[in-house]
Amino acid sequence: MRLNEVAEKLGATVLTHQDKAFRVDVQHIYAGDRMSNLLSEGTETTLLVTNLSNALLPRVAELVDAAGICLVNGGSPDPGVIRAADEHGIVLMVSPEGMFETCGLLYQYLGTTRSAGQ
Amino acid sequence: MTTDTYSISGGDYEKAGYAAGRLKEKLKRIGVEKDIVRRAVIAAYEAEMNVVIHARKGTFQVMLDTDRVDVQVKDEGPGIADIDLAMQEGFSTAPAAARELGFGAGMGLPNIRKNSDLFTIDSTLGQGTTVTFAIHLAPLAAYVPSGTSVRITAASCRECLSCLRVCPTHAVRARDGGPRILEHLCIDCGLCIGSCVTGALTMAGRDGLPESSKETVLIVPSPFLFQFGSQIGPAEVLDALAEIGFPDVRVTGEWEDALREAVIKFAREEAAAKPVFSPVCPAVVNLIQMRFPSLLTNVAPFLSPVEAMCRELAGNRRTVVLAVCPSQRTAIMSAGAAAESNVIAPSMLRQALSPILSAGDRSTVARSPESYEPQRQGEETVLLVSGMKHVIAVLEKAENGLLGGIDIIEPYACEQGCFGSPLLSEDPFIARCRRTEAPSTREKLAKAIRRTEPLSPRAGMRLDENMAEAIEKLAKIDAMAKSLPGKDCARCGAPTCSAFAEDVVLGRAAKDLCEYLGNHEEQAT
Repeated sequence: MRLNEVAEKLGATVLTHQDKAFRVDVQHIYAGDRMSNLLSEGTETTLLVTNLSNALLPRVAELVDAAGICLVNGGSPDPGVIRAADEHGIVLMVSPEGMFETCGLLYQYLGTTRSAGQ
Repeated sequence: MTTDTYSISGGDYEKAGYAAGRLKEKLKRIGVEKDIVRRAVIAAYEAEMNVVIHARKGTFQVMLDTDRVDVQVKDEGPGIADIDLAMQEGFSTAPAAARELGFGAGMGLPNIRKNSDLFTIDSTLGQGTTVTFAIHLAPLAAYVPSGTSVRITAASCRECLSCLRVCPTHAVRARDGGPRILEHLCIDCGLCIGSCVTGALTMAGRDGLPESSKETVLIVPSPFLFQFGSQIGPAEVLDALAEIGFPDVRVTGEWEDALREAVIKFAREEAAAKPVFSPVCPAVVNLIQMRFPSLLTNVAPFLSPVEAMCRELAGNRRTVVLAVCPSQRTAIMSAGAAAESNVIAPSMLRQALSPILSAGDRSTVARSPESYEPQRQGEETVLLVSGMKHVIAVLEKAENGLLGGIDIIEPYACEQGCFGSPLLSEDPFIARCRRTEAPSTREKLAKAIRRTEPLSPRAGMRLDENMAEAIEKLAKIDAMAKSLPGKDCARCGAPTCSAFAEDVVLGRAAKDLCEYLGNHEEQAT
């Protein structure tokens, strides 16, 4: 599923690289708050879902070519993160829901599109 | 060899990851394989972060050679008191500031070790720590042999050379008393097995059926159900399977339909290039990867039906899979979808079933044959092609852009699709004619599953990793081939004269194996 479609369904706000969101394909998510895990689990088709909202995160996402970052619990993140995401070419979005709900919704969306033909 | 050094300042989170980023750029530019870049980047980032988190300052040195990258990260810091403890996952001495940022999970050093081929750590308390790691580099799309599922029993071979001639990729050689398969060229289509009358070539795998229980799921490609003559239909075969211990049988039919639908949808909505090839036959996918890499973007990104079934049905239950051809077996195993011991060959199952199926009087099973053509949905034109010769012809035309107007191609290496598998005994046309409505599986689970890894080209036919070398070798092969008689007699153990020329130039065979060449040269002198 394209990242923009994911964001739309979630009701998430895409803060950086909106155009890129139309081209990026997401197949799975990795949710976690540890950099090491995000680093080793992120792939080109992974959306990283995290509570971590700091300027180092976009760099990590860039290093592993992750599809994008989804922060949770709404609100507007620290300007430093937005700037870093912008700089490193990473799609950053904020889900209005909490971690649990966000992951649950994403599971529903991706669980059905991954099996095309249904 | 090139060396780069970056300095790292302790506590400077702003710049953290810079060296790892530079390393990534470099590796990508010299064309290193994607997964290797990824491993190097993960190891590099963790090593870099360790300095930022724990030390006052440090250096990050990259030594790049053609086949490996060595990284040394040296810091001036507190040092590590107990290295064994530090290597344990979850152990961390990171300060609160780092933990707030998501670091300090105690995964850094283990992550470096996990993602490198060589790892050393050296530390002196109060002075500092030096971490070195090395990663072996392989060029992009370097071919990693996935193995073949053809088994050779050389003792049974009587050197009829049929297998040499039938192999579509010229992967078989017959020297030193038996056939040999050049794995890098083999696409696992099984044509050699079909041509072998002595049993020297068979499908690899276990002998005898694995144990089964009520919980065991058996996956069976549907053509297998139509192998038992006019009086035994799918229902009887399923009953007999239950009797020998497989009550829960899942047939591929519906999964093939699901893939077909998904491919049509893909062609309609997403395909960047037409015609779209269905990945239904793993042998054809292998062939495209090797001989027609430019068509890889045309292959719909799904798993084959059997792979999809293994992936989806395995779960916690024991799954046994009947592979009707070597390419199916290799695909199932290389995807890790089933353990080797749980993949069986048709002959074993047939053996176990025959006592049950041959007992009792039977009358001819009523058939309501299905239509042969795949359903034409909407406006898509679907070309169904089967048989290696025709598949290759179609691929060549597609590569040359001569298939305008065709939207989807469903190619099978064997004639009549899997009905023509060399491992099945009934004639493919007869079995196909007997085919009735595919027996329905108990649950409506059938679906197509997308590949997570894109298909990459197989460098099987590449003569040398170095382009210049390859060009030189090609010239030598051409020259050598001209000196050969062109009779393709195969007595040298290679299928054709040009294959023999390649063997000689690449050092796989000695020139004097050619009977004609010797005579010819004698006459000339």
